[in-house]
Amino acid sequence: MYDCRMNDTKRRNSLSIALVGSGGAGVVTVGNLLLEAAAVDGSYGLMRRSAGPQIRGGESAALLHFADVPVECAGDYYDLLIALDWRHAERFLDEIPLTACSCVLYDPAAGDLPAPVVHTDARLVPVAMQRLAKEIKFGRANMIALGLVSSITGLKLDTLCETVSGALSAKGEDVVTGACACIARGAKLGQSLDIELSIPTAQPGAEARWTITGNQACGLGALKGGVRFVAGYPITPASEMLEWLAGRLPRTGGCLIQAEDELASVNMILGASYGGVPAMTVTSGPGLALMTEGIGLAIASETPIVVIDVMRGGPSTGIPTKSEQTDLNIALYGMHGEAPHVVVAPVSIPDSVFTVRWAVNLAESLQTAVIVLSDQLLAQSRMVANRPPDVGFVPRRVTGQAGVENYRRYALSGDGVSAMAIPGTTGMNYTADGLEHDERGTPSTGSQDHLQQLEKRAAKLTGFDYGDHWADVEGDGTIAVVTWGSCTGAVKEAIRRAGEHGVPVRLIALRLLAPLSTRYLEQALEGVTRLLVVEQTFSRQLYHYLRSQLDLPQCTGTLARPGPLPLAPGEVTERLLAEAC
Amino acid sequence: MTKPQEIATKAEFLAHAFALEQESVDRYEELADAMDTHNNPEVAGLFRKMADFGRKHAAEVERLAAGSELPVLEPWDFKWSDDEGPETGDYADIDYLMTPVQALQFALVNEKHSRDFYGRVAAHSPTRTVRQLADEFAQEEAEHVTLLERWIARQDPATAVQDDLDPPNIVD
Amino acid sequence: MNPLPGNLQPKDFKSDVKPVWCPGCGDFGVLNALTKALASLKLPPEQVALISGIGCSSRMPAYTSVYGFHGIHGRALAVGAGLKAARPDIHVVVTGGDGDGFSIGGNHFLHACRRNMDMTYIVMDNEVYGMTKGQASPTTAPDWTASEFTPSGTHARAFQPAAIALAAGATFIARAFSGQPNTLAQMIVMAMQHPGFAFIQVLSPCPTFRPEQKDWKKIVRPFAVDDLPTSDPAQAALHCQRDDGMSTGVIYVEARPVWRRSKAQEMTVEDIEQEFQL
Repeated sequence: MYDCRMNDTKRRNSLSIALVGSGGAGVVTVGNLLLEAAAVDGSYGLMRRSAGPQIRGGESAALLHFADVPVECAGDYYDLLIALDWRHAERFLDEIPLTACSCVLYDPAAGDLPAPVVHTDARLVPVAMQRLAKEIKFGRANMIALGLVSSITGLKLDTLCETVSGALSAKGEDVVTGACACIARGAKLGQSLDIELSIPTAQPGAEARWTITGNQACGLGALKGGVRFVAGYPITPASEMLEWLAGRLPRTGGCLIQAEDELASVNMILGASYGGVPAMTVTSGPGLALMTEGIGLAIASETPIVVIDVMRGGPSTGIPTKSEQTDLNIALYGMHGEAPHVVVAPVSIPDSVFTVRWAVNLAESLQTAVIVLSDQLLAQSRMVANRPPDVGFVPRRVTGQAGVENYRRYALSGDGVSAMAIPGTTGMNYTADGLEHDERGTPSTGSQDHLQQLEKRAAKLTGFDYGDHWADVEGDGTIAVVTWGSCTGAVKEAIRRAGEHGVPVRLIALRLLAPLSTRYLEQALEGVTRLLVVEQTFSRQLYHYLRSQLDLPQCTGTLARPGPLPLAPGEVTERLLAEAC
Repeated sequence: MTKPQEIATKAEFLAHAFALEQESVDRYEELADAMDTHNNPEVAGLFRKMADFGRKHAAEVERLAAGSELPVLEPWDFKWSDDEGPETGDYADIDYLMTPVQALQFALVNEKHSRDFYGRVAAHSPTRTVRQLADEFAQEEAEHVTLLERWIARQDPATAVQDDLDPPNIVD
Repeated sequence: MNPLPGNLQPKDFKSDVKPVWCPGCGDFGVLNALTKALASLKLPPEQVALISGIGCSSRMPAYTSVYGFHGIHGRALAVGAGLKAARPDIHVVVTGGDGDGFSIGGNHFLHACRRNMDMTYIVMDNEVYGMTKGQASPTTAPDWTASEFTPSGTHARAFQPAAIALAAGATFIARAFSGQPNTLAQMIVMAMQHPGFAFIQVLSPCPTFRPEQKDWKKIVRPFAVDDLPTSDPAQAALHCQRDDGMSTGVIYVEARPVWRRSKAQEMTVEDIEQEFQL
């Protein structure tokens, strides 16, 4: 059986901490403060949130993972669990795996220990956090917990108090004073507990570090890519990106509209883009389903748009707060008719900056719709990362110059991209149309026009050079993993561990899902005798898609699991080390 | 809309006459295009002929106006007998299966409108030269009326709209 | 001789694409009114964008020489809103039919009225779906049984475009008849000069599926009241509700702040990304 003392994650200098509590206990606040304070001390970290369905007062968990290198996935097990209470904790206890080496700090006044926790044989340490907090003016149990963590993990108290003062200053001096007193009290108590864990810190390097969520990273990528118009409708887990953009777009000369629904969102961005302004909408699965007709219009009328889908559990309303990669099929095939378009997906939180920026450039260059598939795990997790590299693109929408004789908007050109005149340009007036049309844009039901325009819209995508961005390809060996999106983090960690077991594994993390770069993919798979396709779906959507596009090695297996549980690196490693396909 | 004051100057009158003919030309061309689109070439041809007549008349008005500056009027500022130009006809009288007789009857109504419009100006303009000019124009339109009535009389009176044996198409 | 020397004529705003509309369709009158209005406004064609959805009347953009966007069913107002927000310098006119605007696009209609963006919306209302062969539309009378789709009628009350626009917050509301292009042209000029969302319902007969509408020319008349247009919504509502829907004229004009994009202190993206710096 599994021996926690031989935990793979232990070999990498890392630490996982979970905080749970309900009824406004403030565990998310503590998690954020902890992440930031540890980052200031030199650590890299990742924080995921898990919450119940209540809007306020619900149970929630802050799940943190620290290491001395950038962290792109959670650990397999938690070293420390701090429970302010256990109300409804069973809802997410399966997201917080514990071992006999784990340590659980809990408040004895907050109810009985849940059986699953007891059964782990973890070390159980009662700490009267609520009682201690009551002894302090403006005291809060979550700040006692923060103090406990700081002394247990060796976090610098000065840094912590500074971070807390900054974060809570708006709530008034009394609150800050109370919080700092609680932290000090908790830290003092922690010293007496004889628990030794440490948050790993990196050697201070030259690299600038950021704390950023996937939603923010996508938003930043859009701004960097030149998006200056966004329309969107509130939806979990994408709203935060829209809110982030709403505050910043006007500052860069742009504009954001909260639309009446997703149908309006996608059509508004079509209007803005038709007007010459790079435009984007942001949604999640249900919204994407509503937008598909509009995306088809973008493709037919050759109007560039970017649609970010922050995937969540589906179908229907599904599991709005948890991650899944099950919108792959709708993103690939959702449009009626033959509607070639581009689908890309970031492979990490920092990569979201690049991928969205690239998506904007592809949409503008190819005058088509680009769907970006982010997911809840990337979007709502907060990461301490090295500053993402600034990969710039020159925006390249081919527009018409005034004075062209006999302008034909949908002229058949060598590469399929034709000049798109911008309203205001003299003499280039044309009507964009979702009806099939001739080269001028005049509606046509003729077979020749249909065939020519179908070929045009397909050729501009297949003939384009997507360069090295189609995937992140790393390592060698005869075993390979093809994966995408948030699974990439767990796969990377699994490949690292497999390497430590002497098993080299190639990573192919797809960034360009459609059109699939089959030629590059075949090259990347050369010499591979065993392939594992890793995805967070039930029906193996990526695997089936790959099989439809190219011949995979005979020994091809899948590790496909639906949400809401994120893929743990340990289970991927297990598959990599197993002999079977 | 307020009741129009009567046309008082030659320039104003010629501006009306030119607009009347120009609108007539535009409308007949539009109707001819619609008939072509709907595969009724016979009526399309008739409407084109009417447009040609209109162009000739417009050219005559231009000759009369040579050297004088005509006022620029907004579409709703013309002193027609109602809000629309006399020779623009009524869309409700148009049908894709209409026969040449019906097209001529449509034209006849237009010519009568023009005749009546000019007759009104000839009777009521406060300016003698305008009254004289309007009277000439009214007489010319009356000749058109007579001509059209003669053409209509020559047509097969039994010709009427046939039923379309096919159901309408579903387009979008 | 050119009565408007140096200026564009209405026909300069027409394209060389010939309408597929049935001869006798009211939409021809709206096309003529629109081109007359654009000529009167002396707008360069490239400064105007005509946006539409799907339906007979939504074919309008291709028949004009301005910039056009012929989108999907019901979404024209959203496309227009996006264009106007992104390009406030462009004059945006949205056209469509009663099915496009009040049924599949009904939600956008309400919110476009609320938002009060500076654009003009012209709905050609013929109380029927023409391009799909004559089904009942939201403005069809509940007892209309001529469609095979609703053989015993819709049993649903007819949509009241003007009253609903008023309740939803449109700041310019008018009703016109396609058989009076000159009157309509004047109304379109007023609508386009109105700062805010201007809505014109044009009664536009369908000779094919609603031949009885050929009689509309005998029924339509200007509102027989002397207090229109009004800026009092209660008064406007009263006239809308008392009317049989066949009175024409500008009903309501309100001076309300127009939707404007928020202006914030300019920053570069490089400035913004400082917030992520540890």
